[in-house]
Parts: sequence; C-alpha cells; structure tokens
Amino acid sequence: MVREKETTLYIGPQHPGITGNMMVKLKVQGDTVVSAATHVGYLHRAFEKLIERRNWIQAFTLLCRFCVPEPDPMELTYARAVEELDNREVPERAKYIRVIVMELARMQSFMLWYAGQSGSAGLYLTPQWSVGDRNYILDLFEDLTGGRIYHMYIWPGGVRRDLPEGWTDKTLRTMDYIEKRLDEYNKILFDNTIFQKRAQGVGIVPKDKAIEWGVVGPVLRGTGIKSDVRIDEPYEVYDKIDFDVPTQEGGDIWARALVRKEEVRQSIRIIRQAIADMPGGAYYNKVSNPMKWTVPAGQAWAKTESVRGEIGFHVTSDGGNKPYRVHVKGAAYTHGVTVLEKILPGQNIADVSFILNSLGVCPPEIER
Amino acid sequence: MTDLVKENILLNAVTSAFKIEGKVIRDRRVEVHADKNTVSSILLFAKKQLGYIHMNHMTCIDWIEQGEFELVYTIYHPVDKLTLFVKTRIDREIPVMENIDTIWDHANTYEREMREMFGIEFPGLVGEHDFILEDWDQIPPMRKEFDTHKYAAETFYTRPGREDAKDVREELSKRSGTVVPDFAKKYSRE
Amino acid sequence: MENDKNSQKIVDYIGNFARKHSLFVLAYGTGCGAIEIPATMTSRYDAERFGIRGAATPRQADVLLITGYLSTKTLKRVIRVYEQMQEPKYVIGFGSCTVNGGMYYDSYNTINGLDQYIPVDVYINGCMPRPEAVISGFVKLQELIMAGKANNGEKYRENLEHYRSNQKKIIKNWKMPDYNW
Repeated sequence: MVREKETTLYIGPQHPGITGNMMVKLKVQGDTVVSAATHVGYLHRAFEKLIERRNWIQAFTLLCRFCVPEPDPMELTYARAVEELDNREVPERAKYIRVIVMELARMQSFMLWYAGQSGSAGLYLTPQWSVGDRNYILDLFEDLTGGRIYHMYIWPGGVRRDLPEGWTDKTLRTMDYIEKRLDEYNKILFDNTIFQKRAQGVGIVPKDKAIEWGVVGPVLRGTGIKSDVRIDEPYEVYDKIDFDVPTQEGGDIWARALVRKEEVRQSIRIIRQAIADMPGGAYYNKVSNPMKWTVPAGQAWAKTESVRGEIGFHVTSDGGNKPYRVHVKGAAYTHGVTVLEKILPGQNIADVSFILNSLGVCPPEIER
Repeated sequence: MTDLVKENILLNAVTSAFKIEGKVIRDRRVEVHADKNTVSSILLFAKKQLGYIHMNHMTCIDWIEQGEFELVYTIYHPVDKLTLFVKTRIDREIPVMENIDTIWDHANTYEREMREMFGIEFPGLVGEHDFILEDWDQIPPMRKEFDTHKYAAETFYTRPGREDAKDVREELSKRSGTVVPDFAKKYSRE
Repeated sequence: MENDKNSQKIVDYIGNFARKHSLFVLAYGTGCGAIEIPATMTSRYDAERFGIRGAATPRQADVLLITGYLSTKTLKRVIRVYEQMQEPKYVIGFGSCTVNGGMYYDSYNTINGLDQYIPVDVYINGCMPRPEAVISGFVKLQELIMAGKANNGEKYRENLEHYRSNQKKIIKNWKMPDYNW
C-alpha cells in the first residue's frame, strides 16, 4: 500500500455535523483519522465567575444554561448541594415531583439525541418525528413551569409551585402516546440496515479502560459496566421506585444506541410509578427571604445522573449570601476531550460527527 | 442510618499510611487534608491499593484572604460507592502544583483549565496554553481580584438604560407613581 | 410599511419577491439558542412553509442567525463567516443576549450588543425565544426584504470603518491561531 500524505482537517466551529460550537482538529491519511485534538472555548460565558456575583437563588438563572439540552439536572444537583450545606429538608411530595421532572428532562433529551444521531447518519425522517414528539414533552414543561427550555423550577427546599390541575392526567396520556411511538422509531431507526451498518463496531470505548478514562453514563453502560448514580447513590426517591438500568456489551455506537433506546422506556416506567405513589402535602420548605438568605460555610459535592452521565457540583460557601465558588463537572468534560481524542484515531472521517453525537458531547458544558 | 464502618476503614487506611488528618463528612463522603507534595502519592496509593480508579473531578478554590489556593481532588470507588476528597492548599504567590495526568489522563483537561483560569503552573503539563480563552492579556480571570463587571463595562459597549442590581418593585413604583406597600419593603435588597 | 410595487423598479420587485421566499439560514449555532432551531425546522412548526431552510456553507447562505451570546473568540469567527457570505445577506440577532448582553451583561467574555460589530436587520428578544417568535422574526425580515429595506451588506460596506474600529477594540490579534483554519 502506498503511504499517503498526512493532511490536517478542521471540523468546526461552523460545521453542520458538529454537536455545538466547538472544533475538532484532525490529522488524516486518506480517509482515516490519525490523531485528533479538541478545541473548545467558543461558548465560554464565565458562568462560574458570574455565579460568585449572584446570590444563592439568582444563581439558578445561570445554572440551567450550563448545558442546553438538559437544564433540569443542573438545577437539581445545585439545589441538592445547597440543601446539604444548609441541612434543609425536602418535603416528600417535592421529591416525587423532582423525579418526574428529571425523567421528563431525560426523555426530551433522548428525543433530541434520536434526531442528532440519525441526522448524522443521513437519515432525516427520524429528526422530523422525534423533535416533533419532543414538543409534547416541552408542552408539559410549559404547563408546569411556564418555559419550554429553561425552567428554574427546582429550588433548594423543594420545587417552586405545585402541579397544576389535570397535569398528571395529561402526562400519563403523553406517556402512552410516546410509548406507542417508540415502536415506530424502532422501525425507522433501529431496524434500519443503514443505521446498523454505520453503528456496529464503530467508535469503540474499551471496557477495561472506560472507568479510568472518566467515562460515565450511557457510554459506560454501553461497555457492559452497570453504573448509574440513581442506584449507586440514590437521591430523592429513586430507591423507592422499581426500574432497570440497561447495559449492553460491545462499547460501540450500536451498544450505546440500544442502551438509550431502553432508557426511554425505563423513564416512562418511572414517571408512571412516581405519579401513582405521589403523596400530598407541602411541596416547598420555605426560604424566608431568598434575597437575603445565607448558607452556612462549608463545601458540598452532589452528583446526579443526567442524560449523558454523572453531573457533579462542588459548591463552596463562606457563610455569605453568595456562593463562594461553584465548580461543575459535566459528563462531556471528559467525553468531549480525553475520550474523543483517544477513540478517534483509526476511524473514518465520515464517522466523526456520528461518534460525537453518540458520546453526547455538549460543548457549553466543557467550557461553561 | 448507617454506622459509617466502610468510611472509617477508608479514613484509617489513608491517614495511617501517610500520617495526615482527615474526617468522615457523612455517609459515602470522606475527606483528607494533605501536604501538596504528598498528594500525588496519596492519589496513586488510593488508585492502585484501594481501588479508587475513577477520578470524578478536581477543582480549585481561591481563598484570597488567606493567600492560598485550595485544590480538591474527588475520587470514587465504583464497587464500594465511596467518595474520597483529597484537599491541599498551595501558596497563592507561588502557585505550582504537581501534575497528575500520568495517573489519570483526563486530569490533563482540568489542569489546563486551572492553568488558564487561576494561573496555577503544573510542571510537565502538555497541551496548548490557550484552552478556553484567546489572546487574554489580563490576570487569570477566575482569581478573586479580577473584577469581571468592571472589565466588561470598560471593554464592551453597554446599551444605555441598563444598570446593575436594581430593585424591580421600586423601579416600577417610580415609573408608575405608586407607593411600595409595607409588606413588600421587607423583601427589598437593602 | 411601503410594500407596493409602484415605489420600486419592477426588476427589484421581482428580485425581492424571489429573495423573500428562499431564505437559506447558515447552520452555525453560536450559542444556546441553537436548541430551538431544530424545533422550528421540524414537523410541528415547519419553517420551510416560509421558504426558510438550512445551508451548510457561508457562501451559499443568505441569513446569518446569531443564536444567543457571542463570546469574543466566536465573534472573530462570526465576522469571518459574515464577510464570506455573499450579498444580499441578512443578520438576525436571536435572544436577549444579542440585544444588550442579557444575563451575561457582566461577563468578561461575551459581547453586549451585536449591532456594534455587524449590522443587524431584525432582533428577536426573549430567552429563549419560542419557535413562534423565531418565525415571526423571519416574517418581519421578509417584510423588510419586500420593501427593499434590508440592505445589510451595503450598510456594512459603507460603515466599514465604524464596525472595524469597534471590532478591533475586542479582537486584538486578527491572525487565526494555527489550530483554526
């Protein structure tokens, strides 16, 4: 074989295949990637600096914008870290509402993943369906919180307001509809030979290295390791709810896709149980005056299972009315830089955006 | 409640091996305070001997009044489900810390970010100096003495009519001429 | 709004009519607003009814949609992309943070006020603007095009010095680093 010349190829920041505003610099020989380097910083808004200028409650407006496809896990994680510092109890009803919100957030994000994953394989029917169906979940959020994308609904000590009348029935109806639709998604995406051939054996994350590389969430479960913060360190009421954590062997894009496919069904199962078991009572353990609220000094580390894996917040308080320092570790922080740079060599150029989508790389979370 | 058996075993294992202080924060959370020179050997010990193979994250806190940076390494045991914090303090004037990206590869990302945002040097760290910012000529922006509002007001164009930290209720009453009711006054900022 | 063909030459009228109905939007999600673009383009809101659809490359695109805040690093790329686009071209500022900085008004890395750096035809406010608002912004742009008032490229050429001096205040080094382009 003739040794081909090495060429440098830039994907992004303006590129339709990239999962946001970031850049991957590739060295390629022919069609094969030799080495890759991620460059971020195009979305840096200095969140962590700005939070130091806001008080504890005002920080929520910034927090939910950390990663756009899934704002709610960020709110919950921060709220839990603040609750740990403040020793604030959460009413039982609020815990159930939080679980429902989290699972709805998970589902809407998976719908978006359907669109990204199939769109990067050149299948443009799935985006039309799944983003359309995602609007039904966003409608539920709109009824509940008033916003489609950003909610600012979860607060330290509970949630902002109670469920509106008739909301649970509407949610159950939407769940029935989406469960029915999932079978149709299987027909156009998972039974599709194009998708199977593109996904199988591509972008393999090795099982023995996965934990050491910092891989979390569906990507880790796609290598056959059962790891989920919801069962490892149950928060809210996940320990009272019966659900499975799907795993798949292989570690390729196909395994990750199957994991995500099953997780949507588990989310529907969790929402149904949570609605059935939800007790009445208070939904908010009131903070007297949020604008003057101070939190005792200390440090807290809280983590939550988001769509793309574990999200951690390291919150430091000096006893004042503003957070002293908030540091966020999102799943994409390792997936988008270290893991991507390690698994891209040897892959085809055409698969790069396919792999990016399946790792769940969300650039605003890397640079914040 | 659990009786924190696993947590105390872990605490004893680390503190007795390195003669350092530490405490159990709550269930599943243990912290140890180490000298900056022993951090990498503690992390290596925890990874190889105790099975803490996953590094969750590392962060830096700027304690400007004490003149110190606090570095927190958060590591996790996937079987025991325990989290160990290794905390250390370094001098703010000479911010140099050991590079641990030979222990965990993804520590490289964290360290590059810290080098840029706090100005902490990690000898032997590879990677471009511009990780997030570009052509930055001020002091590292995450340090406490950097005033982002002042910098933004000087650098960027501000549309007239925008002022910082106004009380919405008072502004509305000024505009419409109504009086702020007494019950609302206790919620005002000052 | 003057929208009758008597005030324009018949050639311009036909040209504007055609332009109005084929707005190719550059697929460059510069900020978090990009999340509502798929919803706008797909089945429920279906922006293609109005002739709005995506384009992959700057030279083939008509509309530059700035979806949210611009960090200084992105601003450099956006100016470059904007200058690559061919006339007629239009710019839509999407979200409150393009209008006055929004919630990032005190951030050291995001610009406040997009129209200081490139001319803007239409602003859509809100954080985040709903798909209906996005479509309404595009309809407003179509009205401007029809009336012959959307002359973004011309404005930029005529006031180039003003825009350049504002851009130079922020962008100190015009050379792209070796990892980019």
